[in-house]
Amino acid sequence: MTTTLAGGRAARRQTMRRIRPRRSPATVLLLAVFAGAVGVLWLWWMNTPSIADQNGKILNAGRITGLLAGYLMALVVLQMARVPALERRVGSDRVARWHAMSGRYTLCLVFAHVFLIMWGYALQAGKSLGDIVQQTIDSINQLPDMGKAAIGTGLFVLIGLTSIGPVRRRLPYDAWYHVHLLTYGAVFLTFWHQITTGNDFAVEPTAKTFWYALYGSVTALVIWYRILTPIRLNMRHHMRVEAVIEEAPGIVSVLIGGRKLHRMGAQAGQFFRWRFLAPGMRFSSHPYSLSAAPRPDMLRITVKAIGDHSARLRELTPGTRVWAEGPYGAMTAQRRSRGKVLLVAGGVGITPMRALFETLPGAAGDITLLYRANTTQDLALWDELAAIADDRGARLMYAVNSPDGERPDISAERLRQKLPDIDKHDVFMCGPAGFAQSVYEALRGAGVPARRIHHESFEM
Amino acid sequence: MHALRKNSPLRRIVLASAATVSGMVLLLSLKPHSTPETALAVPAPSSSSGAGTSGGSSGGSSASGTRTVTGDTIQTRWGPVQVRITLKGGRLTEVTAVQYPTDNPRDQEINSFALPRLRSEALQAQSANIDTVSGATYTSDGYRQSLQSALDSAGG
Repeated sequence: MTTTLAGGRAARRQTMRRIRPRRSPATVLLLAVFAGAVGVLWLWWMNTPSIADQNGKILNAGRITGLLAGYLMALVVLQMARVPALERRVGSDRVARWHAMSGRYTLCLVFAHVFLIMWGYALQAGKSLGDIVQQTIDSINQLPDMGKAAIGTGLFVLIGLTSIGPVRRRLPYDAWYHVHLLTYGAVFLTFWHQITTGNDFAVEPTAKTFWYALYGSVTALVIWYRILTPIRLNMRHHMRVEAVIEEAPGIVSVLIGGRKLHRMGAQAGQFFRWRFLAPGMRFSSHPYSLSAAPRPDMLRITVKAIGDHSARLRELTPGTRVWAEGPYGAMTAQRRSRGKVLLVAGGVGITPMRALFETLPGAAGDITLLYRANTTQDLALWDELAAIADDRGARLMYAVNSPDGERPDISAERLRQKLPDIDKHDVFMCGPAGFAQSVYEALRGAGVPARRIHHESFEM
Repeated sequence: MHALRKNSPLRRIVLASAATVSGMVLLLSLKPHSTPETALAVPAPSSSSGAGTSGGSSGGSSASGTRTVTGDTIQTRWGPVQVRITLKGGRLTEVTAVQYPTDNPRDQEINSFALPRLRSEALQAQSANIDTVSGATYTSDGYRQSLQSALDSAGG
């Protein structure tokens, strides 16, 4: 770089004026969730004058777990409602991880609730813990809406079982996904017994209203963002496959045409969930990042043929209808807080990086892309990247295995050697989990603060 | 917290379970073991009259000193509760629940275990100073108040 100091500064100022970092609302949202949980506990506290004995403790523990489970269940569904604030500002991957964690926790609460309440009822009826099964059957027969609740809980057991790590890995994605959709049914079925048998809702009309409002607004958001918004988007933009191009061994680009595609509001670094209306592909949608900044008449995704679905992409014929949902993802220019940016791509993780490399504002020398692949043949989109680098004076580096298969050295020292001011950079990263983990550690070792390492991962 | 920071899922599970269980144990142990209303000696029929309470009535007394008194009807959150007491020579010999919540099967289940216990506690204590039966908090409350009003009108 030969820019003068003054010129560099002026350019940097210019760039910084175009950078408006937006903080993720994650912390505020988590605080709101905790406040809601405290409110639910307060409801229990106000409606429970006293607890007489051991049996009362068991029953009340059952009530607390039930109330918390009912509250969290609504939020677990909300996390998957594709609300833009969550998908685009917190980040789809992070929300999905929250969903997985809170879903497991909520299911544990549900099972604890059933066990504690039935144990308590059995003790009340003068029976022992051993009669809990009979007690459960009696309660299902006698209490209002308990039959529905039992079916719903059965569905939760099924959903929980199919989501346990080893089971899920053995199941085809589609099977797991369709079982997971039963969650809506299970939540609906278990809702009614909360209202009709829940102490707190029977005696507190306000609490009942609040509960209806909570579940009602989650339902509305799900219908709006998961059903109506995608329908509107696809009616308006009419997307079709234009062409399929082989970029590198096993890596294809799909060009998608449509109407007024720039009006979808997609940014570089974001992705859509794509469904191709071709035989064998129409029943599942998959998230693929845009590999170029969106154009009014054209979008492009670049995909590595690893799964069933992605392997079939290369057989797509031009004209195939495309159903897309999005844009989603928070790894956009808004995450940036510094003038200098390092983009790190591992393999096909180049796709969002390629789009950002082209569009991130920056003066010559501000943007650096480090591209890791097995061999130079695997460096998909290389020619384009080189052209962009030339055009805007950005730096482009690659790291491939040596001819004898040895992995390149991406360590803190090596990164600092290549980019002496690496600790002044924002880093955007996309690649396989193991790669991302090791680069993350190297970056932290080189002095990049965690809050400036932006990464999205879809492996859980 | 950064997604790529190493943290073991096991640690998270242990932490979440420990926090939940200890939070719950804390909440449960903070609750008093009997209702504050237990100390309420006089239920003050005037304050709870009107919508909630119908006046207690003294029944007939026989020569042998056996008296029957019906207590106030106490409106609880689940429905009305009212008891009738029998006194023989100043001793409480019988408590009968005249009204109690029966709206759903769960009420009936509760009554079947709670009412006998409340009765035997009352006979043992010879007063309305009886413990709440767990799982039947409101019924116990109503029972206690109706019993107290019956005792009051029998004494007065």
